[in-house]
Amino acid sequence: MATAIKLDSKVPSGPLESRWTRHKDQLKLVSPTNKRKYTILVVGTGLAGASAAASLAELGYNVKAFCIQDSPRRAHSIAAQGGINAAKNYRNDGDSIWRLFYDTIKGGDFRAREANVYRLAELSVNIIDQCVAQGVPFAREYGGLLDTRSFGGALVERTFYARGQTGQQLLLGAYSAMMRQVDAGRVTLYPRREMLDLVVINGQARGIVCRNLITGELESYVGDAVVLCTGGYGNAYFLATYAKNSNATAIWRCHKRGALFANPCFTQIHPTCIPVTGDYQSKLTLMSESLRNDGRVWVPKKKGDTRPPNEIPEDERDYFLERKYPTYGNLAPRDIASRAVKAVCDEGRGVGATGRAVYLDFSDTIREKGIEYIKEKYGNLFEMYQHITGEDPYKVPMRIYPAVHYTMGGLWVDYNLMSTIPGLFVLGEANFSDHGANRLGASALMQGLADGYFIIPYTIGDYFANTTLPKVSPEHSAFKESLADVHRFLTKLLSIKGNKTVLEFHRELGMILWDYVGMARNAQGLQIAIEKIRKLREEFWNNLKVPGDNNMLNKNLEMAGRVADFLELAELMAIDALHREESCGAHFREEYQTPDGEALRNDEQFCYVAAWEYTGDLGKPELHKEPLVFEFVTPTVRSYK
Amino acid sequence: MALWPQSSVAKKFLNAITGIGLFIFVVVHLFENLLLLTGNPDDFNRWAHFLESFGVVLRIIEIGLAAFFIAHIWSALLVYWDKWKARPHGYRVYRTAGWTSRQTLSSQTMIYTGIVLLAFVIWHVITFRFGPYYPIMVDGVEMRDLHRLVVEVFNEPINVVLYVAVMVFLGFHLRHGFWSALQSLGAYHPRWTPVWYSGGVLVAAALAAGFIVIPIWVYLYL
Amino acid sequence: MTKKMTLHLRIWRQPNPHTPGRFVTYTIRDVSSDMSLLELLDVLNEELIKKGEPPVEFDSDCREGICGTCGFLVNGVAHGPKRGRTACQQYLRDFKDGETITLEPFRAKAFPVIKDLVVDRSALDRIMAAGGYISVNTGSAPDANSIPIPKEIAEQAFDAAACIGCGACVAACPNASASLFVSAKIAHLALLPQGQPERIRRVLRMVEQMDKEGFGDCSNHGECEAVCPKNISIKHIAIMRREYLRALWSL
Repeated sequence: MATAIKLDSKVPSGPLESRWTRHKDQLKLVSPTNKRKYTILVVGTGLAGASAAASLAELGYNVKAFCIQDSPRRAHSIAAQGGINAAKNYRNDGDSIWRLFYDTIKGGDFRAREANVYRLAELSVNIIDQCVAQGVPFAREYGGLLDTRSFGGALVERTFYARGQTGQQLLLGAYSAMMRQVDAGRVTLYPRREMLDLVVINGQARGIVCRNLITGELESYVGDAVVLCTGGYGNAYFLATYAKNSNATAIWRCHKRGALFANPCFTQIHPTCIPVTGDYQSKLTLMSESLRNDGRVWVPKKKGDTRPPNEIPEDERDYFLERKYPTYGNLAPRDIASRAVKAVCDEGRGVGATGRAVYLDFSDTIREKGIEYIKEKYGNLFEMYQHITGEDPYKVPMRIYPAVHYTMGGLWVDYNLMSTIPGLFVLGEANFSDHGANRLGASALMQGLADGYFIIPYTIGDYFANTTLPKVSPEHSAFKESLADVHRFLTKLLSIKGNKTVLEFHRELGMILWDYVGMARNAQGLQIAIEKIRKLREEFWNNLKVPGDNNMLNKNLEMAGRVADFLELAELMAIDALHREESCGAHFREEYQTPDGEALRNDEQFCYVAAWEYTGDLGKPELHKEPLVFEFVTPTVRSYK
Repeated sequence: MALWPQSSVAKKFLNAITGIGLFIFVVVHLFENLLLLTGNPDDFNRWAHFLESFGVVLRIIEIGLAAFFIAHIWSALLVYWDKWKARPHGYRVYRTAGWTSRQTLSSQTMIYTGIVLLAFVIWHVITFRFGPYYPIMVDGVEMRDLHRLVVEVFNEPINVVLYVAVMVFLGFHLRHGFWSALQSLGAYHPRWTPVWYSGGVLVAAALAAGFIVIPIWVYLYL
Repeated sequence: MTKKMTLHLRIWRQPNPHTPGRFVTYTIRDVSSDMSLLELLDVLNEELIKKGEPPVEFDSDCREGICGTCGFLVNGVAHGPKRGRTACQQYLRDFKDGETITLEPFRAKAFPVIKDLVVDRSALDRIMAAGGYISVNTGSAPDANSIPIPKEIAEQAFDAAACIGCGACVAACPNASASLFVSAKIAHLALLPQGQPERIRRVLRMVEQMDKEGFGDCSNHGECEAVCPKNISIKHIAIMRREYLRALWSL
């Protein structure tokens, strides 16, 4: 089956500023009366999924929306704290679409498509308008106009926010818009459904197979297109800031049905998370990047200094981000800050019981601007920190450590957000499109909503207008086969009856990935990781113990399926990391660094998107390269000094 | 639409409006009854006669009052019925979270204190409104000697005890009912609602105490 | 400070909606006081699976108190002892060593039990569908700064919009009323200029749907406010009633 795939990014030509507009003008349209004849299956109801479902339904399409949660409003977009970027330039501080574009593409270490990123920056402006109109209560100034703040990797204040709950408010906006379409009869909701397979007929994505998570029944849904909005795969690391149910199953099964997986090794480690406290830990909690606006990151200058933070005098503290990156200081981008934190902890200067933490100190700001200022801006984050750690961050500095937070990689999509399987569109974090090798803060919300509100409504119509879609019923043999496959898979999981639980396997996998495919990687480690993953996968299929049955609510069975997929995906992540012999963005190969320890990119050999094709042999995926051409910006050394 | 309560919100409007009406009646009634304690039996009888002189108008007011009672009870029963329907299987372990919760013994027992008050009102109306007619001449006019009836009734210790007990129930009913009626009508104010809420205790206690004094006074001194 | 604890969990076990449930008590030894209550359930489930017993099913997702997925009664209080937190944000340090902790699912006719501590809260989604939105099609919005909104109003709207839809208000309410949930959305949108055109329709339809779902009526116990993980005030219930009165008036 290999080699038939030819990657066509469908990126339009011409001046960067007018590419999207011209592209839209050239896309074919579907008439209003015909839209009613199309059914679109939207999988996942986070920012991308809910906004897509709402917008497509508003256009007149029939939409079926699926989510694994009990309600679409629970999708993990809800947990995004800090904000959403938009090139509104309300501040008059020199922001522009170009600047947001440049910051984003530079932040991604020049591993994203220019045209995609420019479109994202362009649409950012419309997103804010749309969300305000929906009633999203963004922070405002006394004059009644919108407030903004600054975020990592930018020198302008372009981040719109709603206290520390921006993701929640944006998601509720999109969810509300979708619920309006539910009321109008244009969207049908299928909560507590997990997509377990993609059904491809005549090379077109024509349906999905889901497991009803309450009854265990397998259900077939036919559609004219499938829009995948199922988020990222960071839970492969087990400990991550993802929700417990976030998983890669939907994208992985689509990958196995023929969709190419792009840049799987680009996984973001966020610098400011609450450190691990024990081996029982089920997840890590992020402390928003916005905190770095007012908090200063430091460690003691001396190794193994166990004095409490307030007893360490000023001149014995090392504000290492400010020291290393004077221009951006504490607001250095995530990948850079994370590595700096890891470096000082590796030197033995980490703090806390485990030595794997640094201080994020607000005492200077509290002294200068008062406690009320902090309370208003970050009150809920401080509260959350206190809930989790039992410590009062108003009095003692927070302790933070990096954690897996986002995956820039994902299914490969063209400029129309369509994967290599015609009719399978991939939006939001599930695709690879806009963030290159590293995502800047407050850009995930922007991308999810740009994809859902403003891109898919145009591009999906073009697909329909250009495609003949024969009538298909759930009785089609492809559905039958897919049902049988899924059934076999579930039965197998239940029939192993070994001795180790899903959680144990998941934790072990997480440790392997964190140690060898984490913040710093090297060839030897990656080879070890691949070996270990293979071994663990083998053990998984021989020694897994899943309680209960298939015909009931069985969360362990759900998790088992997801971990089975993570165990396969993890190998691809390591393979990709091994093949990319350069350091770029979040992908830091120890062999490729500058003398002062910064990432050393290799544009000669690796200025491309690595899109992997499933060949049936997990150890031998086929690499397809989409070269990245920079016509408007010149890839430079990404300096934040 | 609001009068025939179809929605949960409207049920509470009706309950609150009638509750406030009944509350005003109870306050007025307390002041009327305090005339029993002036030392001159004629004061009470004169007032009763004055009310009687309104004839048809008084009948209409009485019917209105009865309608308020019925509507209050009706809406309360609807709320109570919905409560049972809404949670057919109760908790095995349940307690209030405390903090700002306004859940009290009073709020939990509104239906029971209400039933007691209803039974009392029926007894009260039979005993006094439709009780024996003792004629008396005051200022040369013949009128009903209600004062004598009250004294007779409250010289029975059992009546005093029951009356006092019922008034405690009234206090309990008002402790939640007073602020709750305002909240049901949407009158929430960050500054004043706490005042109403705490003030409810004082209002309830004052009214209950006022009513309790009367039979005891009558029993002891008249 | 971190210490080791032994805890007894008395948990409602119910295999499916049609089989009656019962409490079963489990003892877990030597767990860290820094552990969260849900992590304690994870530990228990691992033990149960190893022993060949069915693990306790409970809903949870973000585990940082924002998604609204988790929730059950902890010792008779929705979400548990610490105020303004969801069940996932309850930590063992707030319980006593040797304590028996009772866990019981949210109970309401509108929230049928699915299994163990898992309930079906889709009624809340249906209420949202009935009017919890501002009708604005994608692409038709004016510039975001064309509608100035006083900071105070935006803040008040936010206080209402902070609702995470966990259903604890319903669970804790002696009447199983959903008034706090419904009113929070009504108030959020009624406070904002964008929400004005649909004010009347919104309150009438959402209240109607709330009643249809079989929730009880609000008797102003205020218990909802006390268990709300986002500290949403019953002020919003009063606002909903004013909105309703206003709607009746204008019909």
